[in-house]
This record gives sequence, structure tokens and C-alpha cells, in this order.
Amino acid sequence: MPRSGLRNRINLATSIAALCLFISQASCKPNRNDNRIVVASAGKITSLDPAQANTFHTLQLISALGDTLYKIDVNGELKPNLAKDIPKISENGLTISIPLREDVLFHDGTRFNSLAMAFSLKRFMRIGTLSYIIGGRISSIETPEPYLIRLKLSRPSSSIIGLLTSINLTPISPKAYERHTDKFLNRKFIGTGPYQLTTFRSQHQRLTPFPLYWNKSPRNSGIDFISLSNSTSLFGALQSGEIDVLLSNSIDEDQRRSLNKMANEGLIREGAGAAMEIGYITLRSNIYPLNQKIVREALLHSLDREQISERVSYGLREPLRAIVPPSLSHKSNSPWPTYDPQTAKKLMQEAGYCETKKLTLPLTYRSNVPADKLLALTWKAQIKRDLSDCLNLKLDGVESTTIYRQLGEGAFQAVILDWRGAYPDPEAYLSPLLSCNKSKEMVCEEGEAAISGSFWTTPFMEREIRLSDELRGPNRKKKLNEIEQSAAKGAAYLPVWLVKPRAWAQNHLAKPEFNGSGQLLLESLRQIK
Amino acid sequence: MGRGRALLQYCATRLALAPIMLWLIASMVFLLLRIAPGDPVDAVLGTRANELARSALRAKLGLNQPLIKQYLDFIKDLSHGDLGEALVNQEPVRNIIQKALPASLELGITALIVAALIGIAVGFSGVSRAGSKTDLAGRLYGISTYALPPFWAAMLVQLLFAVILGWLPVGGRFPPSLLQPNGTGFLLLDSLVSGNWSALQGTIRHLFLPSITLGILLSGIFSRALRMNLSRILEADYIEASRSRGIKESQILLKHALPNALLPVLTIAGITIASLIGGALLIEVTFSWPGIAMRLQEAIAQRDYPVVQGIVVVVASLVVVVSVIVDILVATIDPRIRY
Repeated sequence: MPRSGLRNRINLATSIAALCLFISQASCKPNRNDNRIVVASAGKITSLDPAQANTFHTLQLISALGDTLYKIDVNGELKPNLAKDIPKISENGLTISIPLREDVLFHDGTRFNSLAMAFSLKRFMRIGTLSYIIGGRISSIETPEPYLIRLKLSRPSSSIIGLLTSINLTPISPKAYERHTDKFLNRKFIGTGPYQLTTFRSQHQRLTPFPLYWNKSPRNSGIDFISLSNSTSLFGALQSGEIDVLLSNSIDEDQRRSLNKMANEGLIREGAGAAMEIGYITLRSNIYPLNQKIVREALLHSLDREQISERVSYGLREPLRAIVPPSLSHKSNSPWPTYDPQTAKKLMQEAGYCETKKLTLPLTYRSNVPADKLLALTWKAQIKRDLSDCLNLKLDGVESTTIYRQLGEGAFQAVILDWRGAYPDPEAYLSPLLSCNKSKEMVCEEGEAAISGSFWTTPFMEREIRLSDELRGPNRKKKLNEIEQSAAKGAAYLPVWLVKPRAWAQNHLAKPEFNGSGQLLLESLRQIK
Repeated sequence: MGRGRALLQYCATRLALAPIMLWLIASMVFLLLRIAPGDPVDAVLGTRANELARSALRAKLGLNQPLIKQYLDFIKDLSHGDLGEALVNQEPVRNIIQKALPASLELGITALIVAALIGIAVGFSGVSRAGSKTDLAGRLYGISTYALPPFWAAMLVQLLFAVILGWLPVGGRFPPSLLQPNGTGFLLLDSLVSGNWSALQGTIRHLFLPSITLGILLSGIFSRALRMNLSRILEADYIEASRSRGIKESQILLKHALPNALLPVLTIAGITIASLIGGALLIEVTFSWPGIAMRLQEAIAQRDYPVVQGIVVVVASLVVVVSVIVDILVATIDPRIRY
């Protein structure tokens, strides 16, 4: 070998060795305080104001920084939290009295009392971007005693109790927010929760245990809540040990499956919460061809949910034949029909299709949601297999922002969507899909049913929803079931699946636990030997 | 007219035209955003807000005003340097840009240094041994890096060095276990100034993969440009004349050919810098790098009009400034250039 060639090779080897040495030196991980836990999720947090929060990870974070008046426990039962007892409802149902705990401090040291609670509720009603969820039900808020708050309602409302578990109604310190009574405070949060916020950046929030917390102290020394922009990064970060806990929002189905498999093999720990998110298909019922109820019914029978669940999510998304999550409705039967291709074909034939005529139906899915595309493709394949001479689905991927904008304008014949109620009550699922302010026979012209793109209603639907809210106990439950049955008969919505929130933790941590509202209990995360 | 005066006149014209160009860009962005389907109200309220809540928010954000009034207000504010507030959380757009731009610039500058070093080394070594295996490998490298899809390369690098080997972080800009140093927003600089060595180490660790990946991807352009220009220059008459005078080949290459070959590379570097000011979207998204491109993408998805408008106008201004600086540099170095 010539000397120059040898020298070149030596140079090359030296360079590679130097590069490796540099990378290995750069890769020396800085020391981590082992008692702090790094929790990762997708998406940035741009505001921590409870009057503004509407994304899963923001609500998750606020749930650790603040407390609500009531909370739903793992068994789905309502439990007092900052309230001392269950609410007392007057006989006419128009006044709700809530006694408050007297031993609670905000993170700024000020005391939590009825004035603070009233301040928070009024602020939310005034500037809260989701204030419509109260829907004019609260007409006034009174503070007759320092630790008693009284809500005067404009009409009797059973769902208001569920609403009081909403994270958006988390009390905040009047002193800390005195300059923000009419505007948002994005980068701070002064609540009563087990953690206080010590650092806020859109990609990183640091939580430290609040030493004067009224309830049990967190079982860790603090949380670093970070956000990464995509599923692959989150998955990789858990695999490499860079993060301790991973939340399931925005994790792709393949990676969910891998994580589930890893948990089953004992490599990581998996925790799952109450399923609060439903996936469904809206059918536009006020225009040909889906204004024919029989065609919509045929579509209801054509969907093989079990196969879709298996193909799309490897069984991790539960097949669903209701629009209210079963954990909230506590019912044993499912109102929507099961998969039955023969009945579907019969119904299509009755509608005049199959022999000489074949219906082509556009199905729109959110192009930025991978599971939606897989669902659309699988359903299309099922219809091709079972009803090829009657029906054909024409798939159309549209960015979700555009879909939401054009949904109420009736731009889509059939569209795949999902929904998560703002509070754990059946009303938070039925009303947003079925409520209607102005209708003509079976067509909703104004209201939630129109906004949701189905335009379907019945002449008595709004009255029934109102009535259900005025009833209590078993009567309410019966009425809610009747409304859901009616929606199933109307066939304007096709519930597809139910999504459980999941979290995966490294093996040196205990299994992640969730509360009844589907929030990960950050304070219960702990190291184990 | 003297050369210096002509250059001065050229720069003055360019800078005088900049406001017109920025006005055109701002107007186009304003119009295109409003034509695009989607509503910022959806991003704030979610999809289920009733019409009453939507109208109230629309009025609060000024979106119910006639389009021409919105436009005139926007131009008036812009002329006063007021970029407005984000619709989503009412944060001043200026603050958003101040936080995101240093991240993109830090990544861009580091990547550019990497690209220039690798590109020049590969291009130069190829020409110095024209037709050899090194040259072939260099040409192959240039084409490959140029053709590689950035997201694929980034994911591959992420998988190998972060997930499988666990040497470097998967994404982000700073370790969550440390407190970020305050200052300019350029974390390398801030860590150095504050003497916080663990912060510096953390910053380097997070910067390493995205900057090397982006640098390698950009280096192909440099190596190809250098090789092409150097080969052409080595055949020039003045090089032949140098050879005939008995000047050493290495001296010809380094002292006579390379400076001239680097001129087009400088122009390419200028264009690359200009494009990197707007961020490297795919790299930023893959490595969760909180830069201006990622922020712009989020703002577009949320239809946050003031944020999109503000970012585009600021980036366009910087691009104008950088291109003028590059022109001046090239003209200063190369006396043959006339304006």
C-alpha cells in the first residue's frame, strides 16, 4: 500500500475516533434528581388559565395545580373535594348550597373561601372561552357565609353537579388574579392543588409539591411536565429512559400497541383511566341521499366495530354502540344495532339500491388524525366486501380545522369525529350532539345538532333534554336512556369506539393511576424499589 | 460612478424597496389567511361553542369588523412596529417571536457551520484528487445528502443515537431537570455568559442531533458547489500560468483557486441563511425544537392570524437584511462585481 493511502486511512480512523469520543463526551447525561418525575405529552401549553384551557394536556396539568369542588372517583362516584359535603338542592331545584372546606390555602398563602370560589366562577362565566358549557344555568352566585356558596339557577339542572367537577371551574386566588379579572393569565397558576407551578415554558412546566396542601402530599418530589411534538419522539423518549411517564394523547396506534405489548411483557407499566372520549361518524340527515332514514339504518348495520377496533387499534379502542360512555350511563344494553350485513343489504334494497343503482357516499376523515384514516379505509373495505353492489364509500381527507369550520354549514355527508365531554355527565355528551333550538319536523335548523353536522332532531328532543336535566336519580337515568334510544333510532350518528386515556411508566415507578374524569393522578406517581 | 458609490446606491435602493416588499408580503399573507377555510374562534373555543359564544369572541377579537377595516388596522399597527396579540392566548406576537426566533437561529447557525465545514472538506478533497475513489465518494455524498428527505434522515438519526444507543436526547432544546438560563434566548450564549456549565452541556446535547442532521443535509449543496467551481477554476488560464511558473500544486489550490471558488459558496450560504431564518420545519418538528417554523406551523393550524402575519413579516425583513449583507460581502470580496 502506498504511504499516502496509509496516511489517509490513519487520518480517517483518527477523525472517526475523535468524532465518537466527542459524541460520547457530549452524551454524558447531566445528573437528574431521581425523586423528580419527568412526564411527557404531545402539544405545547400556551395558557394555564382555567378560563381558557381546553386541551387534554392543559387540563391534565391544571388538575395537579388546582382542586375542583367535587371530583369523580375511580368508581364513578361524586366525592366532595374542596366542598365539605355533597350539595344541598332546594325543593324547587333552583338553589344549590355548597359548604366549603375551611382548611384550604392557595399557593400564594391566601385562604380559600366562598368569596374566592365566587370570584373564580364569576370570572369563568365572564371571560371563560368555554363559559357556554354553563349555558345560562347559573343566574347568580351568593356567599351567605365565609364557607358556604349558593348557586341560584335559572332552571333546575341535575347536570350542574357534574359541571362542578370540571377543571375549568378550578378556583384561583383572587389576590393573584386581581389584575386579571377580565383577561387571561397565561403563564402562572395560583390554585389550591397538591403542586405549585415553579417554572412555566410552553414546552416545559415544573411542578413542586405545595408544603401547605390540605390533603395528602404528593408521593414524589415534583414533576417536570414536558411536551414533544410528535408520537415517534415521545415513544423514543420513553424507550431510551429520557422520560419517566408518557401520556397517551397523540400517540400513534402502532406505538400504543408496542407500548401495550411492552407493558404486558413487564418492560414498562401501563395504567388506564375511565374512557371519556368517543369516536363516531356523523351522517348529514337533511339532504339526499342520507335524508332517507333507511339508508342511514343500513349504514348502522354495515359497521363491523370489532374488526375495526382490531385492525385500527389492535383492540385498544373499545367498540362502542352508544354516544354516552358506559361508565357514565351505567346501562347494560347498547342502543345502536350490531353489525349485520344481511340486514344492511336488505335495507339498501328497500331503499331502491343494489340491483340497478349503486350509492356512492363521500366519507370525510380528518387527514391529521391517523386513526380516522385507518377507520375510513377499514369501513370502506368492509362495505366493499359486504355491500359491493349497493354502496361505495368515497374517501376524502380534510384538515381538522377546515372540517370543524364547515361542519355546521353542512359541508359533509358523512364525517368521522370524536368528542370528549367537558364534564363527566351524560348531558355533556347528549346535549352537544342532539340539542336543537330551532327545528322543522326532523330537521334541526339551529342548535348543537346543526353545528355537529347531522341536522337531525325530533320535535320533542330539546324538551326531553331539558326535562332530563330537571329530573334526578333513576327517573333522570331512565329519561337519558330514552333520549339515547331515540338518537339510535334516528340513525344520524354512528358511534364507533371508546378511547381510554393511558399512561406508561418506567419500571422503577408504580403503575400510573387515573381519577374518574380520566386525568392521570400526578401526585400518585412514585418511585418503587 | 465609482464602485463604492455604486454599491452604496444599490444597497440604498434595496433597503428603500424593502418596506414596499414587506407591505406586499404582509398584504398577501393577510388576504390568504382570510381566504383559507377555518376560523381562529374554533381554535380558542373548540368545536362545540354555540353561536352566541362564537360571536362574542369574534367581536372581542375584532374579527367581526369589515375586512378592509381589519386590514387598515393591521397595516397601521405594523407601520408602528406593533405586531398585535395572539388570538389564542392574547400573548404579544413580539414576545412569541422573541422566544422562538433565537431557537431557530441557534440551530440554523450551528447547522450552517457544520454544513460549511463538511461541505468544503468534501468538495475540496474531491477536487484535489479528481477522479479518485475519494472524489467519487464525495460526489455520491453530495447527491445523497441533497436527495435525502429531511424528516426521514432526522428520524433515522433520532432512532439510532437517541433511542437505540441512548447517547443523546430525542428532542427538545434543554434538559427538563435543569433551569434554563435567562438572557438572549440563545442558550449556548446564555449558558456561557452565566458560566452555567451543566446548562451548556445540556444545551449542546440537545443541539447536537438536530444541528448535525441539518448540517449534513445542507453540506451536499456546499460540496457540490465548491467542487464544480473549483474544477472550473483549475482549468482557467491564470492557474495554467501559475503552474508554468512552477508554483506548487497545493499552493495553487489553496492560494489561487480556492478563494475564487468560495465566492459562489458564499452566495449559496447567504441563500441558505435566509431560508434558515424561517426555520427548518421538518427538523424542528422531528426534534421537537421550539423554533419559529414550528411556531408558524402551529399558528397556521390554529388560524392565529396575528401570529402568522407577525412571523412572516419579521422573517421576510430578516431575509431582506441578510441578502443585502451577502451582496455587500460578495461585492467587497470580488472586485469584478459591478452594480
